[in-house]
Amino acid sequence: MLTGLAVIGVARFLQQRQDYENATARSYQREIVARNRLAEGRRPAAARAAVVSQQHQRQALRDEISSETRDTALLVGAGLIAGLTGAALLFTGLISSMRRPLEDLVDASGRLAGGDLDARVKVGGLAETATLGGAFNEMAEELQRRAGERDQLERMKDEFVLTASHELRSPLTSVQGFAELLLLEREKLSPKQAETVEVILDNTRHLVRLLNDLLDLARSDAGRLTIRPVETEATGLIEDAVRTMRAQLDARGQELTLEVAHDLPQIEADRDRIRQVLVNLLTNANEYCPQGANIGVKARRDGAEVEIDVIDDGPGIPEQQLEHIFERFSRGDAGETQRVGGTGLGLAISKSLIELHGGTIGAESTPGEGSIFRIRLPVVIPARVEAI
Amino acid sequence: MARILVADDSETILLLLRTRLEMEGHEVITATDGQEVIDNVSASDPPDILLLDAMMPGKSGIDALRELRATGIQTPVLIVSAHTEGGDDADHGDLSISGYIAKPIDFEALFAKITELAG
Repeated sequence: MLTGLAVIGVARFLQQRQDYENATARSYQREIVARNRLAEGRRPAAARAAVVSQQHQRQALRDEISSETRDTALLVGAGLIAGLTGAALLFTGLISSMRRPLEDLVDASGRLAGGDLDARVKVGGLAETATLGGAFNEMAEELQRRAGERDQLERMKDEFVLTASHELRSPLTSVQGFAELLLLEREKLSPKQAETVEVILDNTRHLVRLLNDLLDLARSDAGRLTIRPVETEATGLIEDAVRTMRAQLDARGQELTLEVAHDLPQIEADRDRIRQVLVNLLTNANEYCPQGANIGVKARRDGAEVEIDVIDDGPGIPEQQLEHIFERFSRGDAGETQRVGGTGLGLAISKSLIELHGGTIGAESTPGEGSIFRIRLPVVIPARVEAI
Repeated sequence: MARILVADDSETILLLLRTRLEMEGHEVITATDGQEVIDNVSASDPPDILLLDAMMPGKSGIDALRELRATGIQTPVLIVSAHTEGGDDADHGDLSISGYIAKPIDFEALFAKITELAG
């Protein structure tokens, strides 16, 4: 309404301005008529008086218009101020009625993004914010439903792997056990029969290895891959792993050099799991390197850590494979894997196990020259290692 | 040489264990569930060592062991488990278990433990 007043004021001002200009124009015309008469010498006294009179009249018009302009300006100003104040009041009300729901939305979005799938907002207030709130809640609902389905599928998968590996273990125990039994009486078998039993045994052991790896991965996914660390002699642990691998290395005529520093400390570690990692690295070196390759294990203390390198002078690993080498089912090229027959899971599991110890594992390689796998283990496992 | 009670619900695994243990010169009695284990241990000629499968239908090896320990029987026990070492086995600290044997069985390790227990 007050804004209406301002509009009326502006209209009146424009009308007054028009009237003033018309009146001024007429006054000029009369003055020109009078000046013409003066120039022609007709009744000069009256003409001179008319000129002066018109000049006075215009001065009066000017005075009048400027005072009216001031009044109108005041009116317009007052109207505008009143209008703006009204708009501001209205806007403040609008903002404050939107602020609460918007703040709630920001807060809920933050919680949702942080993984709190129960985050919801109270729907209400202005139509716009209510719609927004409703849409947010629907989205959160859908996210929660999908997360629930995914969790359930994950659990089913984990359960399946655990059960399957358990159920497969009994028949494998029989197959492996009886094949071993046959080989105990090798002298009663023909060479062909003995060879056949060897094949059965090799394949059974491979299946068992695959099963153990799958089980470890399922445990890792379910956050159930755990270590049981004890104070242990690092030197003894490394020698133990090397001893386990001697026969296989000798079978391929590979030379193994062991260089363990004298000051290697006691470390906090799960012996079986660290041996598993070392045996995995040595098995890879054994299988991927040619006959007669040189393989080395070097261990030294580096401050609060122990560094163990498994080094070989084998064919090396191409750069694009090296990047993905600790991922699941990442293996050498097809021709190699046919011959080698690993599971493609060993390094992924090794990485999880080393990380459970608060350590790191990495690989460097120069194709044609060889590879180095480096494990760094803390002497004391940090108080809290995140579940892998 | 010891008198060993072997319990497993699989006849093939029982046959395997019996053959290998007898080849080592041990005497073997077998059971296919926990109740048979209890019956055998309570018999007049009890075994020196128990080799029990952890999971058997009906009364499991662990259930049987719990009952035996409750009646004060202190026969040394090795548990055979389909789970891998250091895996999902619950801690049965109160049952004084002398060792766990994972499947597939590493017989050299099993023989070494038996020799140690038979002392």
